[in-house]
Amino acid sequence: MIRYIARRLILLGPLLLGITFVSWAAIQLAPGSSDYFQSLVLQYPQISPQRIAALRAEFGMDQPPLVQYLHWLWSIVHLNFGYSFAYNVPVAWLIGSRALNTLLLSVTSLVVAWALALPLGIYSAVHQYSALDGALSAAAFVAISVPSFFSALLLLYAAFWTHLLPLQGLTSVDFDFLPWWDKILDVARHLVLPTIALGVFSVGGLMRYMRTNLLDVLRSDYLQTARAKGLPERAVIFRHGVRNAINPLVTLFGFELGGLLSGAAFVENVLGYPGLGRLVLEAVLKRDVFVVMGSLLMGSVLLILGNLTADIMLAYVDPRIRYD
Amino acid sequence: MRGSALIALVTLVAAAFGLPGVGAATAPHPSLPGLPDPKVMTGQPGRYGGVFLDSQQSDPSTFNPILANSTSSTGPLANVFDGLVEANGKTTDIEPGLAESWTVSKDGRTWTFTLRQGLQWADGAPVTADDVLFTFQVVYDKRIPNSAADVLKVAGQPIEVTKVNARTVQFHTAEPFGPFLREIGNASLIPQHVLRKAYDAGQFNQTWGVNTPPSQIVGTGPYKITEYRPAQRIVYDRNPHYWKVDMRGQRLPYIDHIVLTIVPNQNALRLLFQGGQADSYGVRPAEYAEFARGARAGNYTVYDGGPSFGSEFLTFNQNTASGMPGYKLRWFQAQKFRQAVSYAIDRQAIINQVYAGHAVPEYGPESPADKFFFDPHTMQYPYNLQKAAAVLAEAGFKKGTDGVLRDADGHAVQFVITTNADNPDRVAIGNIIRQDLTALGMQVTFAPEAFNTLVAKLTDSFKWEALVLGLTGGIEPADGQNVWKSSGSLHMWYPRQAKPATPWEAEIDRYFDLAATTVDQNRRRDYYNQWQEIVAEQVPLIYTAIPHAYVAVRNKFGNIEFTAFGGPFWNFPVIYIK
Repeated sequence: MIRYIARRLILLGPLLLGITFVSWAAIQLAPGSSDYFQSLVLQYPQISPQRIAALRAEFGMDQPPLVQYLHWLWSIVHLNFGYSFAYNVPVAWLIGSRALNTLLLSVTSLVVAWALALPLGIYSAVHQYSALDGALSAAAFVAISVPSFFSALLLLYAAFWTHLLPLQGLTSVDFDFLPWWDKILDVARHLVLPTIALGVFSVGGLMRYMRTNLLDVLRSDYLQTARAKGLPERAVIFRHGVRNAINPLVTLFGFELGGLLSGAAFVENVLGYPGLGRLVLEAVLKRDVFVVMGSLLMGSVLLILGNLTADIMLAYVDPRIRYD
Repeated sequence: MRGSALIALVTLVAAAFGLPGVGAATAPHPSLPGLPDPKVMTGQPGRYGGVFLDSQQSDPSTFNPILANSTSSTGPLANVFDGLVEANGKTTDIEPGLAESWTVSKDGRTWTFTLRQGLQWADGAPVTADDVLFTFQVVYDKRIPNSAADVLKVAGQPIEVTKVNARTVQFHTAEPFGPFLREIGNASLIPQHVLRKAYDAGQFNQTWGVNTPPSQIVGTGPYKITEYRPAQRIVYDRNPHYWKVDMRGQRLPYIDHIVLTIVPNQNALRLLFQGGQADSYGVRPAEYAEFARGARAGNYTVYDGGPSFGSEFLTFNQNTASGMPGYKLRWFQAQKFRQAVSYAIDRQAIINQVYAGHAVPEYGPESPADKFFFDPHTMQYPYNLQKAAAVLAEAGFKKGTDGVLRDADGHAVQFVITTNADNPDRVAIGNIIRQDLTALGMQVTFAPEAFNTLVAKLTDSFKWEALVLGLTGGIEPADGQNVWKSSGSLHMWYPRQAKPATPWEAEIDRYFDLAATTVDQNRRRDYYNQWQEIVAEQVPLIYTAIPHAYVAVRNKFGNIEFTAFGGPFWNFPVIYIK
């Protein structure tokens, strides 16, 4: 097992090299597009061409694209993610200032989604074709087909008309003047809308997965055997059914880990949540290249580690899987 | 809500402390201990305390006032830093700021400023002539990319700054410099005692970035930053060392805290205001009716500032390096062609459909909001299709029996108008213009594109035919020299010319140079009138309409004096919460 993990971690390097090179090339090859410095002239008509050239040189962007990439790679090896053009602060600080917020939102919505999806999926499978199963399936299809930015918009208007929940952000205007217990409560209230938009609407897909897998397992011979030897139905379903049906979901979980820091971009932008998604969208639009590259790199590392975690967990959950 | 409870509490406490001032006799020359000659702001005597809930659309990119150049950075710093002089938001005149007075030599090349006595930075250190010297040393440093340096060059030379004594500095320009006062006021003074070390170490460009602890950011303005949460908010406290007083001689500002909420988009700004989490909102003309209806229920007032500064226009590419076929270039270079297009644009339709009726037609490059430099006597192009067709006929264009307009050589008039797709106003204007021009028999395609693509075409490849664009304006026409001088990089229709391509562009260059080197403001105005008249006649930019500036402000403030130039809060220190 250890050797397997080590091998996967060693492969991480070339993989990341490939990912970063392709993303760098994609940014450079975008046809007919200006870079960050060029578009300054419209925001600030007084700026002189010399000033623009000087700015570009300061960030090393006057070099040929391949040299720029190698420079970037060299500093990454030294754990230096470069400076943002727009902010002139280290990219690591920029990402760090938002990453925790996004992580918080992702974790709450992940927990909510799984805590809802698994029991509902199990119920649907066990009570296949019952009225509630039908209703849940219908609801799941709606949830799957509504894009998250749209569900966020709907929730926003609901909150606006009912005045029950804060409309945007993570903290209230007077947050800094509150005692600590009110601070927690305040953050919790602000998390409700984005968590619903992101989490509850992803319940649909997960629930359907759980239902299908469990149905497959419930029809298998060894469950008949279990029933035949007189096990109570609860034990049949939970000890033998669910445990076997959950394997594919573990893989899925690994993917979701990878999306922890990148999955919330739409919802963040609609609900004004102070996370990475807003930063990255802005950076892409402004072509703030190092910020884009930094967050891509981080997203890739998380995705790869998430998959690795899932594979390791699978080995524990499923005795048939061996890596050595 | 908890927010309002907090505000009420703060107001209550402040009211208790504010009492001693009430009933004090109005002194003719108010003074404070250590600050014998503060600037007096006019307005009703107000009361201390409270929180102002501000909002803006994106994060500041720096807290360094020298490096800041987008409004998302200059806005949050406006209340933290000051210049030597400042523009009055109502009269637009230049008034004393940190400098209490100034003189100019007879040849118009030497300006002497005297700082107020007893000025202090927010950390208590004295403001001296050395701070002024340091500020301009930084501005003119080639390693420091800042916008002030581009504007504060006279005949390509930096302005010489010398210290006379601890409170007096002299500025010496290579030639007389017309916009001097207005431009010098735009340079925010920075503290030498805080920033010198970083500057000497070559670290200035990384200083006071958004990752700086706010307590290290020291200015002379009415507020100081106490907290910054990225993508959430900036919190300010009043600066106890501020140098302005009210008419009773009480130190300003009145309001204790500002909380500036940062949101990702315009709709969020609107929701924030409607939800009571912001005290003001810039109402777009199309939203005016809706906001005016909700004013009573929402406890706010919608102020009409009259015509604003920014405007959208249509322009044709006249650049020989654009790769267009020669006949197209000849259309666009023909004055009559551009005039005909201007006659054919239904500005009233634009006003009605894009700005819901809340705009005025515009034909020249200055907004009527610029009370001093606006020339009302420029040529106008009221909507008239017959006239447009007649002007086109004079230039040899003929509409065939098939309804297609052709030039003298038989080329059908076909071209593409583009704009940036993320701006709904420009897209709507482009659509109306396309319809109008189709009526003349032109075959126009309207193809909005991504902002970055547009910028690349405009500044680099020049491969465009016509575009709808807008620029923000201001009082001083000299700020537009990058657009208007033929050598300018934003001289959109033909940028960076080695020498002027046409006689009228040469004339504009001449008037801009004259106005830049003349100190007498009335003579400068004459030069800029000439420029406005040439532009209106030659129509390199075909202006459309100038929308009114509306701002909705919660009915809780005293001393609001709204203007299009200064907005509702230009006199913020003297504004108080009722």
